[in-house]
Amino acid sequence: MSLLDAMPTPRIRWKGRHPNVVLVSLSLIMLVAFWAFDVVSMAPNRIVSGTGYGALEAFGWPGTLLATLLLVTIGVVAWQPSHRHYRALIVAVVLLMVLMPVGLIASSYLLIDPELPQARLGLGAAYWVVLFVLLLCLIEIRLRLNLTRFWPTLLLCGVALVWWLCAALWLDSLALVQEYNARNQLFLTAIGQHLRLVGIAVSSSVVLGLLLAMLMRRYARLQKGAFAVLNFLQTIPSLALFGLLLAPLAWLASNVPFLAQLGVSGIGTTPALIALIAYSLLPMVRNTYTALEEVSPDTLEAAKGMGMRAGQRFWQVRLPLALPVLLEGVRITTVQAIGLTAVAALIGAGGLGTFIFQGLGQAAMDMVLLGALPILALALVVDASLGALAEALRPGGAQ
Amino acid sequence: MIELTRVSKRFGDETAVNDISLRVPKGEFCALVGTSGCGKSTTLRMINRLIEHSEGDITLDGQSIGAYDPVRLRRRIGYVIQHTGLFPHWNVVRNIGLVPRLLKWSTADVQARVEELMDLLGLPVVEFSHKYPHQLSGGQAQRVGVARALAADPDILLMDEPFGALDPITREKLQEELAKLQARLHKTVVFVTHDMDEALKLADHLVVMREGRIIQQGSPLALLQHPSDPFVESMLGGLERGLKQAALTRVKDHMTSMGPTLPAQSRIPVNFSLRQALSMMLRDHTDRLTVVDQHDVPIGDLSLRRVIKEAQLDKGSIRE
Repeated sequence: MSLLDAMPTPRIRWKGRHPNVVLVSLSLIMLVAFWAFDVVSMAPNRIVSGTGYGALEAFGWPGTLLATLLLVTIGVVAWQPSHRHYRALIVAVVLLMVLMPVGLIASSYLLIDPELPQARLGLGAAYWVVLFVLLLCLIEIRLRLNLTRFWPTLLLCGVALVWWLCAALWLDSLALVQEYNARNQLFLTAIGQHLRLVGIAVSSSVVLGLLLAMLMRRYARLQKGAFAVLNFLQTIPSLALFGLLLAPLAWLASNVPFLAQLGVSGIGTTPALIALIAYSLLPMVRNTYTALEEVSPDTLEAAKGMGMRAGQRFWQVRLPLALPVLLEGVRITTVQAIGLTAVAALIGAGGLGTFIFQGLGQAAMDMVLLGALPILALALVVDASLGALAEALRPGGAQ
Repeated sequence: MIELTRVSKRFGDETAVNDISLRVPKGEFCALVGTSGCGKSTTLRMINRLIEHSEGDITLDGQSIGAYDPVRLRRRIGYVIQHTGLFPHWNVVRNIGLVPRLLKWSTADVQARVEELMDLLGLPVVEFSHKYPHQLSGGQAQRVGVARALAADPDILLMDEPFGALDPITREKLQEELAKLQARLHKTVVFVTHDMDEALKLADHLVVMREGRIIQQGSPLALLQHPSDPFVESMLGGLERGLKQAALTRVKDHMTSMGPTLPAQSRIPVNFSLRQALSMMLRDHTDRLTVVDQHDVPIGDLSLRRVIKEAQLDKGSIRE
């Protein structure tokens, strides 16, 4: 008998079933938020600020009881979780997410006087807290079950679809929906502008970044200087950069007619794009440079020894091997650009930022949300899809 | 044939390779042995111009390598390195087919050649074709590395510590296979290693290097019998030298025909080495073994006394 056989077999932790402290506390937070904060707010029209309502008033007894029960269930099941329990928890979390718009429909019937067509329903603090914490729960369960990102993402897409259907069909009184309905044409234009700005900024910084990174690899002296300039650009606050560009571009436009014809002016798309590209270059160049430099010297030496020419080594070996890290750079750049483009609305470049700043000006929080939520969604979608693409392009499909 | 004449390589003030001359005839297996930093890898990499030599002349089949386009030169020379240098983003088939593709062979020819080589190196085509390097064990990866080097059927093979990173059992197995492969293919091989046993086992011609110079070169047996200085002797294993020499000698060469005496209890196959025979004598407390053929039929005798007497005669004859 070997020494190993003589040792006591270690107890499998799974059976020990320690409470999942994270999920239990998250469920407590949700319970407290659900009962203590306003669930919805109701305003008779757009100008008056709304009155808040708690869960009992908004959902009535049955709805409140159902939601409370589900929240308590999450905490109880997470107290002694097994593999199967975690699966059940996913169902509970998704169910709660799906029930959220249904709850809103219920409260619109309970709270809104049909005599007041202007009345609007706003989301209360409890709604935001519960939604946020539910997402945290999903992340925790995903880690416990060792799932890939694919299934949770698919689930969330399903949930988003349900929300959208509910909003389109039954939630006319929701303030967010009203804001959208009042300017749906503008909204589509704004999304288009936003995507266009991000698209141009990111694609030009990809090209410029690749060129710069390749130049840096060739001329070592360029590297320090270029990184210093890019780092400096990154530290200028975005609003200040827009301001700084205003004067020189306006001067150029009025003195060089050719540039004015091209659409260059002190405000609008041109300064926005210049600033966006300036900000995008640093993450792009840094990632591209690192990605190209970090390819294993053994592999490159072998490529040379096999008789590959310099061009073949770059396109067939160095670039494909650098691609995952390079794409990581594109991902960071794009997510950053989506956020920054919101600020570009201030200098008349359009985009979803328009709603944010108009909303702020009119103290209409729901209009701010109309701009902010799509920006958030765009960033998340880009983040997930480019992340998945980088994953898929890992050498040999895995590692 | 590879010929290096008074070749030196300097990096700045440092001389990595100092005035070496070396001739590797066609079909010969030449091993460069030495401690790390002795210039053996540099010597190897000067042959395919990964490093350009500073002085002297290197010729392939009589033509100076400076006359070749380096890229074309490298495509004519197989190259195997320690950590395989396989391309992690390509599967086995694509890795092996690299040089033929660079040489613009037709797709069908490349495919046929790749399958032939996988067969030759004991990599079942169905099982390995679509695997990626990270899915291979160290030994399998280096088989792919050797197959890739042989792909365009080069006359010359340069191997830079190809088995250095493998575990001892895998290393030994690959050494044996390489020896068999070489017996079939007769490539002109330059093989760099710091493992003297590996060099003794594989090489026709052994080159011991130290601090950029060649200290001694010759056949493995010649070096074992007459190491030129204490460094070569210690490289060859010092006191173990006798056994290493025995390892290179076959039982067949010292066997006598069956005598009138009774066959000894212990039997040894005829193709074993003298070293294995000595080990068996020690194990079985005997000074006599019966030599058998592959069907276990006794065909001769091996006696310790006779082996020692013959060794004395060898030494004597060389002295004279």
